[in-house]
Amino acid sequence: MIKVKNLHKKFGGLSVLNGIDEHISQGEVVVVIGPSGSGKSTFLRCLNLLEDVTEGEIYVDDELINSPKVNINEVRQKMGMVFQQFNLFPHLTIMENITLAPVLLKKMTKDQAVKKGMDLLRRVNLEEKAQAYPAQLSGGQKQRVAIARALAMNPEIMLFDEPTSALDPEMVGEVLDVMKDLARSGMTMVIVTHEMGFAREVASRVLFVDQGVIMESGTPEEVFCRPQNERTKLFLSKVL
Amino acid sequence: MTAFQEWFSDFSNEFYMCFIKEDRYKLLVSGVGVTVKVSLLAVFIGILIGMLIALCNLSKRKPIRFIGRLYTDVIRGTPSVTQLMIIYFVVFATVGLDKWIIAAIAFGINSGAYVSEIIRAGILSVDHGQTEAGRSLGLNGFQTMTRIVIPQAVKNIFPALCNEFIVLIKETAIVGYVGLMDIQKAGDFIKSATFITFIPLIGTAIIYYVLIKILTLLLHRIEIALRKSDMR
Repeated sequence: MIKVKNLHKKFGGLSVLNGIDEHISQGEVVVVIGPSGSGKSTFLRCLNLLEDVTEGEIYVDDELINSPKVNINEVRQKMGMVFQQFNLFPHLTIMENITLAPVLLKKMTKDQAVKKGMDLLRRVNLEEKAQAYPAQLSGGQKQRVAIARALAMNPEIMLFDEPTSALDPEMVGEVLDVMKDLARSGMTMVIVTHEMGFAREVASRVLFVDQGVIMESGTPEEVFCRPQNERTKLFLSKVL
Repeated sequence: MTAFQEWFSDFSNEFYMCFIKEDRYKLLVSGVGVTVKVSLLAVFIGILIGMLIALCNLSKRKPIRFIGRLYTDVIRGTPSVTQLMIIYFVVFATVGLDKWIIAAIAFGINSGAYVSEIIRAGILSVDHGQTEAGRSLGLNGFQTMTRIVIPQAVKNIFPALCNEFIVLIKETAIVGYVGLMDIQKAGDFIKSATFITFIPLIGTAIIYYVLIKILTLLLHRIEIALRKSDMR
């Protein structure tokens, strides 16, 4: 579903990604872990070209997406993204946040989008907030809305960039529950997170990224219990 | 007669001379009309030009940014009276447009330079995460700008834009230079016709003040409506 070949990313003189090769298949839940500044968020943001790629190739459904010929907006419609800072649109109600893109991009009529929006809000347990504005919601509620907003486009892949890092501790659980539910439904997901317990529970595969390369990749069992790489061991000894 | 009565009798006499005799108040009434229509059209043109120049200034392409910078630079570096007279006597010298429309174009061109800076700052004040969220949903750059960034920017720039509107109204007091009879010119005309200075000039000031007061109250209401989504 997503193939990454020899991905490099430089910010000016700073080299953040130093050759990443990775293949993510349909239905996989890939959790990316690693120390701060290791390049894991940059890797995720390269997947939908929020960062332009310095070198290398990214294929989504066998289409090379970092080529000038590709309409990136169409590719992004297949990939939902959830941000650390939620990035809900503060001038729109919750329902408008969810229905804006599907209606504007002619994926659905207004009525269909509202109906879908209600289904999604029910799924994240926030139906009563449909007419509220983002400023009236707690952090956990905002992030659940952000997930619903991304799902409204019927994406094939969901990308999560540290979705719980900006939340108060008591709100982390409600967001992780929604993500677990999503994983169980068979959604292909790539998740950057510091929640090791969550990674262990839902990941079909864990990637340990450091210094801009994938140091170790395997099932949660393999990576957490029998890490092979010295850096993985060192990292896990600090966070577990 | 007491001093007060004497003063009052003088005052009412002068008041009569200035406003009632020969229906002179009508000059001021039509002056208000001229000021209002020049200002309104100028604000409209100013916002259009301002948006255009702001987009130029935010462009990724260097030559386009240069055009935006040059425009702002030239307009801010020359007096508005000079600009008005150039537009009126040079640029539109042979075009048969109404005087007030030409004046409004001149003020719009002037205001556009200031509005562009306000809009540019407003757009930059919207968190970049908003753009990223829009683009990640598959919206193109234009859709993200018009549906997500600009509506939020408008709220941020609205007070500054109101201020610019008010400055512009007062700025139009120079349209007398190209022969338009606005509030200022009407007051001036009455002053010359009656040789009375105090009442026509203070009258002019009061009319401008009331006009702007009404506008301020109106704009304040709009601002409150715009802030609806901030309320908890």
